Amino acid sequence: MLRLIGTRALLGVATLFAVSVLIFVCTQILPGDVASAVLGNQATPEALAVFRKELGLDQPATVRYFNWFLGAIQGDLGKALTNGRVIIDEIKPRFYNTMFLAGYSALIAVPLSVGLGIIAAIREGRMIDRMSNVLTLMTISVPEFFIGYVLIILFAVNLPWFPSLATVYDEMPISERFYVATLPALTLTMLVAAHMLRMTRTSVLSIMSSPYIEMAFLKGLPRSRVVVRHALPNAAAPIITVIALNLAYLVVGVVVVEAVFTYPGVGQYMVDAVSKRDVPVVQACGLLFAGVFVGLNTLADIAAILVNPRLRHKR
Amino acid sequence: MLDRKELDTTSTGLVVDRRQVMAAAAALGLATGLTALPAEAQETPKKGGTLKLGMEGGSASDSLDPRTYADSVAIAYSLMACNCLVEIDDKGNATPELAESWEAKPGATEWVFNIRKGIKFSTGKELDADDVIYSIGLHRGETKSPAKGILEPITEIKKTGSHQITIKLSGGNADLPFVLSDYHLIILPNGYNDFTKTLIGTGAYTLDKFEPGVRIIATRRKDGEYWKKGRGNFDSIELRYILDAAARTQALVTGQVDAVNRLDPKTAELVMKAPTVNVVRSKASGLRYAFVAHRDTAPYTNNDLIMALKYGIDRQKIVDTVFKGFASIGNDHLISPANPYFDAALPQHPYDPDKASFHFKKAGISGPIELQVSEGAFSGATDSAVLYQEALKKAGIALDVKRVSGDGYWSNVWLKSPFCAVYWGSRPTADLQYSQTFLSSAAWNDTNWKRPEFDKIVIAARAELDTAKRKTMYAEAQKMVAEDGGMICFAISDFLDGYSKKVKGVAVHARYDLCDMRIAEKGWFA
Amino acid sequence: MLIFGHKPTISAWIGLAIIALNLGVALFGPLIAPYSESQSVGGTWEAMSPSMLLGTDQIGRDMLTRLIYGARMTIGIALVTTCISFFIGITLGFTAAVLGSWVDMALSRLVDIVLSIPLLIFALIILGVFGSSIPVLILTIAVLDSTRVFRLARALGMNLAVLEFVEAAKLRGEGTWWLISREILPNAAAPLFSEFGLRFCFNFLFVAALSFLGLGVQPPYADWGGMVRENAAAINFGLLAPIWPAVAISMLTVGVNLVVDWLLSIDARPSGAQAEL
Repeated sequence: MLRLIGTRALLGVATLFAVSVLIFVCTQILPGDVASAVLGNQATPEALAVFRKELGLDQPATVRYFNWFLGAIQGDLGKALTNGRVIIDEIKPRFYNTMFLAGYSALIAVPLSVGLGIIAAIREGRMIDRMSNVLTLMTISVPEFFIGYVLIILFAVNLPWFPSLATVYDEMPISERFYVATLPALTLTMLVAAHMLRMTRTSVLSIMSSPYIEMAFLKGLPRSRVVVRHALPNAAAPIITVIALNLAYLVVGVVVVEAVFTYPGVGQYMVDAVSKRDVPVVQACGLLFAGVFVGLNTLADIAAILVNPRLRHKR
Repeated sequence: MLDRKELDTTSTGLVVDRRQVMAAAAALGLATGLTALPAEAQETPKKGGTLKLGMEGGSASDSLDPRTYADSVAIAYSLMACNCLVEIDDKGNATPELAESWEAKPGATEWVFNIRKGIKFSTGKELDADDVIYSIGLHRGETKSPAKGILEPITEIKKTGSHQITIKLSGGNADLPFVLSDYHLIILPNGYNDFTKTLIGTGAYTLDKFEPGVRIIATRRKDGEYWKKGRGNFDSIELRYILDAAARTQALVTGQVDAVNRLDPKTAELVMKAPTVNVVRSKASGLRYAFVAHRDTAPYTNNDLIMALKYGIDRQKIVDTVFKGFASIGNDHLISPANPYFDAALPQHPYDPDKASFHFKKAGISGPIELQVSEGAFSGATDSAVLYQEALKKAGIALDVKRVSGDGYWSNVWLKSPFCAVYWGSRPTADLQYSQTFLSSAAWNDTNWKRPEFDKIVIAARAELDTAKRKTMYAEAQKMVAEDGGMICFAISDFLDGYSKKVKGVAVHARYDLCDMRIAEKGWFA
Repeated sequence: MLIFGHKPTISAWIGLAIIALNLGVALFGPLIAPYSESQSVGGTWEAMSPSMLLGTDQIGRDMLTRLIYGARMTIGIALVTTCISFFIGITLGFTAAVLGSWVDMALSRLVDIVLSIPLLIFALIILGVFGSSIPVLILTIAVLDSTRVFRLARALGMNLAVLEFVEAAKLRGEGTWWLISREILPNAAAPLFSEFGLRFCFNFLFVAALSFLGLGVQPPYADWGGMVRENAAAINFGLLAPIWPAVAISMLTVGVNLVVDWLLSIDARPSGAQAEL
């Protein structure tokens, strides 16, 4: 068991390294560089040359990469090319904000959708099954910003319960953070709930035709108990995978929701950096996101093995 | 006591009257918002309060270094802490700021600027000529500053007194004070180069928190009265980056911010209906929207094709639908009707499918024409292009609209694609507008239109101190650009600011929105 | 009436009717649309009227016409991308699960890497290297989506690969392709079907999300996701314009998933449900 986790962790680190190289290569392939991107349609050739030299862009890419990498493993992500601010200081509060929002949304979304999925499976074909299905399907049929706008109109404008601006600051107490971030968290919940709910329901139902489930029924157990105790553990692997994918989405895919609610997360920071070709910042954000992805996927793999006895004792 | 009294009137049957008054006020606000709002000079400014601004036009990569400024938020925060030598007033005139007065020698190649005395930086140091020379010098020589280009004609800046500088130019320029009003040229203390934490200036406020991409907090300077009478009235300013237009609008409507810039023209009319909001519209002061064709690249070398493209665009339809009427139609020459040198006598290019068709046939072009657009060029570019496509169809001209990436648009498409969308910002003078866009030597000559006759007129007009003579010269220049140039400038947008009704001292401005980005200094709370 | 040898339930009939309606519109769109696709017939966001049943869009085109023309583009792209992504994702995912060891490791890490690169950067690279056209758009979405399908297929496959019947088939000496297509796929069909129903609908919106990068459907052609996007500002003032394309997407999403649910229930019902009764 320990060996399994150890190997996974090592593989995760190797993947991260590969991703960092790849992202760096990508930023090099991208047409345009920071100098022309920052100066925009105000760039004159002389200004460009000066800027490039100032930023060290006249050095070869490999040199720049290794300088960056050596710094990164010592916790120094360098300075932003565009405004010379220390990246680690800029990204820390933003990453905290991103994780806070993702955690807040997951806290609502995962129990809600898995719970509803189980209930839907238990009461398959009944009212609650159909209602939860249709409602969640409708929420994923519209773009994320649209849900955001609708929630703002309902709960910030018509019923002034929550602020439409969800900007959180360092000095904000935790209770206020929760209050302010409610609308974006609800938006994200609506975005991810359908996927997890449907996967829970389907996985459970697909197990329901197995002989051992029939056995359980023949023993006279109620349907709810059969679903929860007998079907769910064997249906867990795809559910866990889908939960992991959705949690990852909550961390890395929320730039649009950040924009709609003016939430200061890493997403907007990275988009700004990409459009300005601020390579060290893009690298730092990319590395963080990759870390989250690899971490979640590794956890999902391990969890899937742990819940399934057959995989635990693999020959 | 006062509160008490007001409470009484509202609760004793005067509600109806109050409502009528409010309705009338709202109607008035709407009406004035739609035309020019007169400066509320008769009202005395009051001190106090925190002005909450919600702005677009900045990002997490913003810096305090004036050599990096490129967009609205940076201009706004730099002007909280600093001043320029010259300010542009509501009417578009150059008026004294840190420069108390100035004088041009005949020929306008040598200028003397007298610096105001007794002005203190927030560090307590007194402003003198050295500070000014240092601050302007940041943008000269080997620098990445966008202002380098406009300062290029300056050959020498000399200190001719403790509070006086003399500027020598390589060629005459009657508009030098306008050049010095450029937002990059804020005045900093001599030798100041630490732009990581804050800005030291002579402005009304000091920057306390600088969190680019999130917010900026400024408080009024504690060391005595601001040197401009009646300005710098707020106790503090909280500027928040709100990049999403809808989010900005809702924040204003729900009272979370007191002022926003760049209202979406599509929804501005609806915002005006909100009872607490006052929309200030600076007519034709905004961006010039255009499609530009390279006049040195086939088939755009053909004059008939260019005429067909100019007659084949339904400008009014684009203004009415894409910009909901919050724009003026352009006449292909970039000069706004708000500019004193605008030539009203020059006939406007109408939408005339027959003429367009006639010119197109005469040009004898076969195959479709490709227009590259992107929302990265300006918001509404794609919709404008689609309407253009429809309008050209009626003239029998096939236009392929190709939507390209907004990312890297300015480095990959603009200046490279032979026919693409572009916006041009407002410049304070006709000279700056033309020198950067249409001179043969201009780095951003995005139509590759090179005419020595035109260059000659613009350079001569630059040094001309006689306004009437200048006017005829610029009229000639406008005619040449409109009839021969490769730019199809179809609309000039209005700036649309949204204010809470309690913010006073707001006015339309000829250059930038939010009172020339000086709302923090000019406004006050009722 | 029987479909796939089964009698559809009421909700399945509703789903089938919605799908048939959409397919019909997609196939015969130009014949039934009141106006031409790019024709501007009024002002911005005009209200519903007899001549414009659903009002107009952000530049005064007839909303109903745009919806009808948009069906073809939207459904076509979403269907093709989803099929390709499932083909790639399932094949690789099951292969990884069946072969295990280094094949699994290599494929899984590769997918982790692709997933880890932020979408924005990935899309920009594609755009820079291959340019923007509908085939590039389809392949980009298919490849990105296939990584998610891979994760799911692999998780399902891992569970199945250790079951007796698969082990037996392995001992019989069946090839990998046989194991994947004959042993594992039929038993993993239910969750995959469910995933297909969702991914198909996600892709409506994915197309629109990429349009800012120039990777989307080119103007003046309509696609539903893009229509919601372009008209979104209207919702803040209670105008209905963005609702219509959203309703079109929702309807199709619900319709497809109703049919998926029915297909699943055919599979799931017999033993368990009978025993329950």
